Amino acid sequence: MHLIFDSHLDLAFSALQINRDLTQPAATVRTHDPVGIMESFGSCTVTFPDLRRGKIGLVCGTVMSRLDPNDRWTRTGMYDQSQCHAVGRGHLAYYQALEREGLLRFIRNTADLDATIAAWQEPAADTPFGLILAMESADPILGPDQVPEWYELGLRMVSISHYGTSTYSNGTGTEGGLLPSAKPLLDALKEAGIIVDMTHLTDQAHWELLEIYDGPVCASHHNCRALTPGQRQLTDEMIHSIAERGGVIGAAFDVWMLDPDWQRKVPPYEQQTKATLETVADHIDYISQLLGTSRHCGIGTDLDGGFGTEQAPRDLNTITDLQKLDNIFQKRGYSEEDIAGIFSGNWIRLLKEVWN
Amino acid sequence: MSDKPILIIDGHLDMAYNATFHRRDLTQSVQALREREDPPPVRDPAHPDSLRERRGVEPLGKGVVTVTLPAMRQGHVGIMVSTIMSRVQMPIATLNDGVRTQVASHAIGQSHLYYYKALERREEIIFIRNADDLDACVTAWDNPDPDTPIGLILAMESADPILGPDQVQDWWDAGLRSVGLTHFGANTWGHGTGTRGGLYDCAYPLLDALSATNIAIDLTHAADLAFWQILDYWDGPVHASHCMCRALTPGQRHLSDEMILALTERGGVIGMVFCESFVNPEWNFDDPTSFQPTARRTMGAVAEHIDHICQLTGNCDHVAIGSDLDGGFGREWAPVDYDTIADLQKFLDILARRGYNRADIEKIAHGNLLRFFRTAWSK
Repeated sequence: MHLIFDSHLDLAFSALQINRDLTQPAATVRTHDPVGIMESFGSCTVTFPDLRRGKIGLVCGTVMSRLDPNDRWTRTGMYDQSQCHAVGRGHLAYYQALEREGLLRFIRNTADLDATIAAWQEPAADTPFGLILAMESADPILGPDQVPEWYELGLRMVSISHYGTSTYSNGTGTEGGLLPSAKPLLDALKEAGIIVDMTHLTDQAHWELLEIYDGPVCASHHNCRALTPGQRQLTDEMIHSIAERGGVIGAAFDVWMLDPDWQRKVPPYEQQTKATLETVADHIDYISQLLGTSRHCGIGTDLDGGFGTEQAPRDLNTITDLQKLDNIFQKRGYSEEDIAGIFSGNWIRLLKEVWN
Repeated sequence: MSDKPILIIDGHLDMAYNATFHRRDLTQSVQALREREDPPPVRDPAHPDSLRERRGVEPLGKGVVTVTLPAMRQGHVGIMVSTIMSRVQMPIATLNDGVRTQVASHAIGQSHLYYYKALERREEIIFIRNADDLDACVTAWDNPDPDTPIGLILAMESADPILGPDQVQDWWDAGLRSVGLTHFGANTWGHGTGTRGGLYDCAYPLLDALSATNIAIDLTHAADLAFWQILDYWDGPVHASHCMCRALTPGQRHLSDEMILALTERGGVIGMVFCESFVNPEWNFDDPTSFQPTARRTMGAVAEHIDHICQLTGNCDHVAIGSDLDGGFGREWAPVDYDTIADLQKFLDILARRGYNRADIEKIAHGNLLRFFRTAWSK
């Protein structure tokens, strides 16, 4: 089994806002979820036992809280940045408490990364997961002066927007570009050596950001607009622009981003997607063909990002099933080296380039 | 009474819980929050057969908001004891703010701490960590500006967020000054409201670690046996931040006369709760089915509990306000002559009409809690 690196999971949100015990298998969590949770967040697919069974030893786990007063869906969007900061610090504290218990280890530098990769070659039943701390929407950062503190706390990847308009930029579902507050924040992120995650920017903000920021970039959970139309996906030009900066694009497993026929206004549990893991492979393949290399492709599932089995590829039950991609890529003629790169090597290379 | 408002210390609020769990931006006016609270979920008309609208976790215990920072300023509530509040308890149909693991409780607790820190960064509030901070805050509120920060004494309701005795010093350094070991149900450390039993063995090393600091123990949500076990074992400061009298309102949630005397002999102060379920003897706190949708009684009912404690102890030195007015209920269960926390000033007028003199009223409004914390921090 290859080691897998998942570049986008919202583990702390799942544990704290959905109120799930992630030390239990997903099948158990489903029986614990009270009435209404499945309708809102779907049937659980991501917990630590399932990650371990799938040899997903390295994850980017997010701090996730955004300004979104009109959030009638999850009822977690906030009215004021002070609230986002509070929830964000809670997410950080969740990961810190798991580190205290020995379940995971923060990866802050190349040495930490190498040690975790080595440990996961022949993992024991309790080998700690490697966590790279990420942030989805920069609202928890109260100002550029807080960036060094967040770096010290372990933050290594930040997307400045999410759904709606954040403190710093317009994001998914809106029009418009960066806000004036973005520039000082981006400068501070570059100074600290934190990777900017381009996922959830509007088109305009995407290009504006690349104009005013020349530090490292990635797209943690993003698919191709050529295959799935919609602002949420990357155009070919955008894919090129990220690859030219050395960035990696993590394939997202939300079928809204995979299945052009998916109806966002119909509850997920009242429709059935056609998308399968083959569809995910199609997006990775598209990027590889476009760029002439698979070196910019990775996996960023987002499988606990507010949806569950109902809105995931239909042949995926839990995140353990990511290992099925090995066979799919082999059949498509991908080399062992390419597959290892997609599964983890490309993300590892990017992190080392940024950190060295 | 003179025209100058008396400083009020509210000895028990759950501000961070409201800001994070109920998504309330407490820097706004009560009116602004009331206008924009989430409407109840509406079924999508395009899909009338849907089992349930997607609506996230609907936080229970919300009520109509009455407490925000501007309303506190208006009511001269210049100092608050406000909580970190998270407990390990299975979410149930009538109460869904409990979390499933102590790790999650720690994380929620930290989020509450950082809400207060974010407010301090904006100079909305200021942490009170020692007697000097306390004196400075009292002085500032003697003649406040419209933007004088509200003083915060940080408390914790249920000690689940403390992962172990080795974390106590971190929490003290973060500003924590009062801890209730338990809350609803039985938690990591022992038995709380609604259960029968005492402390677990692991609570004693925690108490040992707490005793190395000047943290006060809040006995409010201790089950009866746990109450007496703590008093036996702990020789540091004790109080009951929000508790009423069992003699007037039956139920385990309230203090028996024996408990009141034991607490006050130790210098403890008891904070009065402004909630119908605490002052209406026809509502049995141990049986929520006895609760009605709306309150019937006025703030005068709270004053009856003050009378009782003062008669029992023979003085006015052990009673304070611990309103809990944002603690899982809203205007509907608050006294009928109360609309926002600014109305606590009217409560002081009620005390005056009942014959309490200015000196006694000042003790109840702030003096007793000031003495309690100054004494606790003088070691």
